Amino acid sequence: MIRFILLQNRQGKTRLAKYYVPLEDSEKHKVEYEVHRLVVNRDSKFTNFVEFRTHKVIYRRYAGLFFSLCVDITDNELAYLECIHLFVEILDHFFSNVCELDLVFNFHKVYLILDEFILAGELQETSKRAIIERMGELEKLE
Amino acid sequence: MALSGMRGLSVFISDIRNCPNKEQERLRVDKELGNIRTRFKSEKGLTHYEKKKYVWKMLYIHMLGYDVDFGHMEAVSLISAPKYPEKQVGYIVTSSLLNENHDFLRLAINTVRNDIIGRNETFQCLALTMVGNIGGREFSESLAPDVQKLLISSSCRPLVRKKAALCLLRLYRKNPDVVNIDGWADRMAQLLDERDLGVLTSSTSLLVALVSNNHEAYWSCLPKCVKILERLARNQDIPQEYTYYGIPSPWLQVKAMRALQYFPTIEDPNIRRSLFEVLQRILMGTDVVKNVNKNNASHAVLFEALALVMHLDAEKEMMSQCVALLGKFIAVREPNIRYLGLENMSRMLMVTDVHDSIKRHQAQIITSLKDPDISIRRRALDLLYGMCDVSNAKDIVEELLQYLSAADFAMREELSLKAAILAEKFAPDLSWYVDVILQLIDKAGDFVSDDIWFRVVQFVTNNEDLQPYAAAKAREYLDKPAIHETMVKVSAYLLGEYSHLLARRPGCSPKEIFTVIHEKLPTVSTTTIPILLSTYAKILMHTQPADPELQKIVWAIFNKYESCIDVEIQQRAVEYFALSKKGAALMDILAEMPKFPERQSALLKKAEDAEVDSAEQSAIKLRAQQQMSNALVVTDQRPANGAPSDCWRA
Repeated sequence: MIRFILLQNRQGKTRLAKYYVPLEDSEKHKVEYEVHRLVVNRDSKFTNFVEFRTHKVIYRRYAGLFFSLCVDITDNELAYLECIHLFVEILDHFFSNVCELDLVFNFHKVYLILDEFILAGELQETSKRAIIERMGELEKLE
Repeated sequence: MALSGMRGLSVFISDIRNCPNKEQERLRVDKELGNIRTRFKSEKGLTHYEKKKYVWKMLYIHMLGYDVDFGHMEAVSLISAPKYPEKQVGYIVTSSLLNENHDFLRLAINTVRNDIIGRNETFQCLALTMVGNIGGREFSESLAPDVQKLLISSSCRPLVRKKAALCLLRLYRKNPDVVNIDGWADRMAQLLDERDLGVLTSSTSLLVALVSNNHEAYWSCLPKCVKILERLARNQDIPQEYTYYGIPSPWLQVKAMRALQYFPTIEDPNIRRSLFEVLQRILMGTDVVKNVNKNNASHAVLFEALALVMHLDAEKEMMSQCVALLGKFIAVREPNIRYLGLENMSRMLMVTDVHDSIKRHQAQIITSLKDPDISIRRRALDLLYGMCDVSNAKDIVEELLQYLSAADFAMREELSLKAAILAEKFAPDLSWYVDVILQLIDKAGDFVSDDIWFRVVQFVTNNEDLQPYAAAKAREYLDKPAIHETMVKVSAYLLGEYSHLLARRPGCSPKEIFTVIHEKLPTVSTTTIPILLSTYAKILMHTQPADPELQKIVWAIFNKYESCIDVEIQQRAVEYFALSKKGAALMDILAEMPKFPERQSALLKKAEDAEVDSAEQSAIKLRAQQQMSNALVVTDQRPANGAPSDCWRA
């Protein structure tokens, strides 16, 4: 399962943090710091998987943002790597050519999208269309 | 880019971004928090809209890294708001700020339950989502039955049912008892007939969790899983929206194959055949394409198929195909595939038949050991460790030793321990084993635990033939200008016991041996000095006829340490001095150590413990622990058929 999802920029600022395991705030800060350090120093020619404590982090960089997923050590790495990409495609579609600033000023929307995509640390829906349609439904209710 | 309707929030975010430094940011945040606190406490009360705005601000501040404990209550209270916009904020922010260990959450249980059993679909979704993301045991007990009802209700939209499936999954993980197996097994099988792929994806995740704990109860789900896989693999009426770069939901394929790995066998021959057809097609039909995402997705499916094939204990031919594939993978440029190739090869080792085919790729694996990427180095080390046997032990251990000098600290301890174990298990001859351990100590002394050098001493003690060789080697190392303290310990011990065997060789007279050891004394700590003192006493004892000059020197040393503040050193100095004055009677007391009795290797035990304690567990061991498949059961270390175990017959 996914234990947490982090979106961080190169400086280490957290743009999104979703935890599917219970951690206290101080632990979260530690985790965010460590994961950032781990991924920001890796060469682009290296794998997108790296051991983290007793789990592993699947990550990918898109422009100035690192998308990191912490998963169980037995999980399928490539499947989660493409899960990250699917998420980015959804964000890209929703915000029409997404950039970091979109995610900053609309962080609450990003959480909404994420909640349609992943639940309980597992993939909930893999149809981009279904998710975007749902977001449309929700916007009407605002 | 602007937020719809929450201008205050936009402005706040802009303000934060415009702060020139951290100090300013903190000031701005504190100001805002103070404002929020005041407004929350004020008599007037806030409109839901204002609360919504402040609670979002709090989440934003929390994301920046600041403490917002006082706001938890407010976030939770919004969950009870009557209208969707505010309720939504309550649910989402609560999910981010709180977790199952927060007492506040309990206050919301009733509202949450009302939302779940109520008629408002949007509220149901909000509630299911929050419970699915952060629900704990208490939620589990009160809500599981209601969630189950939603999951199987035909009047609920797929939207609700897929959330219910994953919500139930969470509740189950928190408390397995909430899913009453007797009633549920059939329902689960029915759920797998689902047409909507979103619901199916969620249900399959639920299935994986259930089956991993109890495959017995869910046998009826097995054929359904195979059907799902077949449908996807053949792209049989899969809606376009579930096709990812031309591949029908790779994630669902992976999940279905994962579920199948929890059933020990497939007894029905028809089902087995169908499944193998699908797997064969995946194995042989996955090409490398230019599009990175398509490539990753298709290979995600391929690697899961590989795992399933291994689990099903397929015929030899299919297994060789797998090894051939993996052999290709470990040599490609693409690092992810290379990594997975190495990792899966390690897993294949559990299926002993393929041991030989894997060894053919040894050279490539050794190259990977030196890859710039530490992730790949780790997998290569695991694989080398697993594939080592008598025929290739020398090569592999020598590569590990060579690599040790260049390795980064994170890997040195693991490398040393593994090299030591392999050397012991598979040494073609004992003198090589001694060489390896001494080299280990020389190159990575800091990471070589005492267990390792105790072990080599045991071997040498138990093998008379080895003794002069070991002593000579120790003597050589002492000539080096700077050696690790552990090397001093082991050399001193070995020379103390056996240097008399070398007495006629150049540079090995008792006096010369003593001198070269004593030169190292200033460089060592108080833990080593007792060993040195014993060594001097033994050298004296073995020097027959006695050498008066040497005696004088050594006695002077004993005298000096008689007043040492360390009790062990003091005691030894005093006793050795007295003993050595007694001359010939000393012979018996300081005679050579008798042979050690047979014992389990402390190293192997340490390796098992180390892999349990250390923060970076070997991926294979963990995988083996977590997957209960028969084919992947970790068999105890293969019987060592090299020389070392024979010599234990004391």
